[in-house]
Amino acid sequence: MRYGFLDEDAKKEIRRATLKAIAIPGYQVSFASRELPIARGWGTGGLQVTLSIINEDDCLKVIDQGCDGSVNAVNIRNFIVSVTDNATTLDTQEATIIQSRHRIPEEPLKEGQTLVLQVPYPEVLTNVEADSFKQKVMHANSDYAKLWVLLYEDTAQFGDSRIGHRYPVMVHDRYAMDPSPIPKYDTRKLHNNKALILLGAGREKKIYAIPPYTKVEPLKFEDRAFKVESFENKKCARCGASGVFMDEVHTDDGTVKYYCNDTAYCDKKLEGKL
Amino acid sequence: MGYVAIKGGEEAIKNSLAFYEEAIQTHQNIEASFVENALRYGVDRVMSEGSLYSKKLASLAILKSGGDLLNASFFLRAHRSSCARAGIAKTIYTDDMRVARRISSAFKDIKGGQILGPSNDYEVKLILKKTLNKTVWNEYKDEDIFVESALKPLRDANMVKTLPKDKTISDITRVFPSAPYPRSAVMQVMARGESGSMLGFAYTSMRGYGDIHPTIGDLRLGSCEVKFTHPLTKNEVKIGEIDMTACEVAATFEKQNDGSTKLTTGFGCCFGFNETKAISMSILDTTLYNKSHTIGQGGIADNFEMIVHHIDGIESQGFTNHYKLPHYVTFQADLQVYENAKNYAKDGEKK
Repeated sequence: MRYGFLDEDAKKEIRRATLKAIAIPGYQVSFASRELPIARGWGTGGLQVTLSIINEDDCLKVIDQGCDGSVNAVNIRNFIVSVTDNATTLDTQEATIIQSRHRIPEEPLKEGQTLVLQVPYPEVLTNVEADSFKQKVMHANSDYAKLWVLLYEDTAQFGDSRIGHRYPVMVHDRYAMDPSPIPKYDTRKLHNNKALILLGAGREKKIYAIPPYTKVEPLKFEDRAFKVESFENKKCARCGASGVFMDEVHTDDGTVKYYCNDTAYCDKKLEGKL
Repeated sequence: MGYVAIKGGEEAIKNSLAFYEEAIQTHQNIEASFVENALRYGVDRVMSEGSLYSKKLASLAILKSGGDLLNASFFLRAHRSSCARAGIAKTIYTDDMRVARRISSAFKDIKGGQILGPSNDYEVKLILKKTLNKTVWNEYKDEDIFVESALKPLRDANMVKTLPKDKTISDITRVFPSAPYPRSAVMQVMARGESGSMLGFAYTSMRGYGDIHPTIGDLRLGSCEVKFTHPLTKNEVKIGEIDMTACEVAATFEKQNDGSTKLTTGFGCCFGFNETKAISMSILDTTLYNKSHTIGQGGIADNFEMIVHHIDGIESQGFTNHYKLPHYVTFQADLQVYENAKNYAKDGEKK
């Protein structure tokens, strides 16, 4: 088997798309998107990005919903290792490439690291305009009026946007972008992040990027606060951490417990390394 | 329920796979060649939707997936991604097909005749009662049959609407185009589309959401030669034959820009023997490129976005199944938004 599974032409094409994406922050670059032995919708966009940028010296971390041991994370990590033989880690600091679904790690990322996010819906305009040709025109004109109307209607009815995750962001004051289904808690981490953030959508055949130190702001009215998920007065029942994104776990005896969603962070905290 | 330890996933998927393999292990007793012969329509469908012509690999994939044809196609697509592309074969003209079956429902009598060939169209679907059909084979000639399309006379008479040819032929596996989609790309998407999805979309145009009323002008099954320019000698060489199904439907008349009135047609073709898919594709080709008379635009099968993005089996299956993946982070985020909206409504009542 070839290193990185994909044939060299495919890797070259994906790298080119990735470079273009980095050059135009927040802009979705089309690519052909190969089928992989992992199903569409299970992270094939992220996988193709990872497989095309990884080299022998990279140390890989794969997480799914904040957890390195989640079945899909394990499956993807095993697949990448089987076609690259690269070293892997659970430690956010140690990793050079972090492929993730739905979370940005709790520990701040640093320069030189690459975060690869798996994306189900790359098009931020999908819910307000289904026609992809019209979407392209709207992006070209920076015409996000329909998104603002949606935000207004939600605010008028419910006091705030109804969007819980994959909250639309404005990248570098130019492109509205879908940040993948991360919680709003993580949205703030996109702003001026030190790491390179690459987003890959396999099924929808799009790659886009947020280069390090890019201005990324959630789409919101200036007189409204951007409300993120809060876990006030909650402490992790395992490591005692607070102020992090939590999993709510309903136990058999009917009580509700909270745990760090980022399991690697929880482990480190427990070992006193944080 | 305790804390979900992070080391659980590895063991869990290993065991789950072992259970699965045990459940379908009876296939160990079945030869792939048996599948290739006895289940040829399954094999053909997998080659077509998997977008890779190999009866051997398709048969193996069907065994590996326990008869789940969508999964079998997925095996072929995944395999395809690891193969480098050698080049582009010469255009195949389905008029040059060595036909096993060719029918036309547009004309009673056509040049070359109606050749029913192998078909289950007139099989009475009684699952229990089975009488063997005895055929006197020696009454049939065994020479190769080549016939022109039954619609050729109409085309020669300049009665058929023609669409402009793409200047360059797309390859959707290398560059997936943006809208407006070149016709070659649309046809490629359909040629490897999922038979059931295409049937469903085509059916919408027949009842309720369109009025194209297709007439099958020429439906043919048979084998076509694949020719290729040899990379070293630059000679044209035949590299094999592939089984194919091709269908041309004739629809209605339409006024052209030059004022003339022309017959509209649609074309469908796919790997292997799969009449339902070829017919569905020819109907979709017609609905996409010709306006409906009664409902105008706004149908389902006349919408390029609808067809181009929703008929791929590998993609729709993968995405539909991905909802089995954990979504607790996103659900937690949604719940908090819901909680806020609930409180907002409550505060509103108080006022």
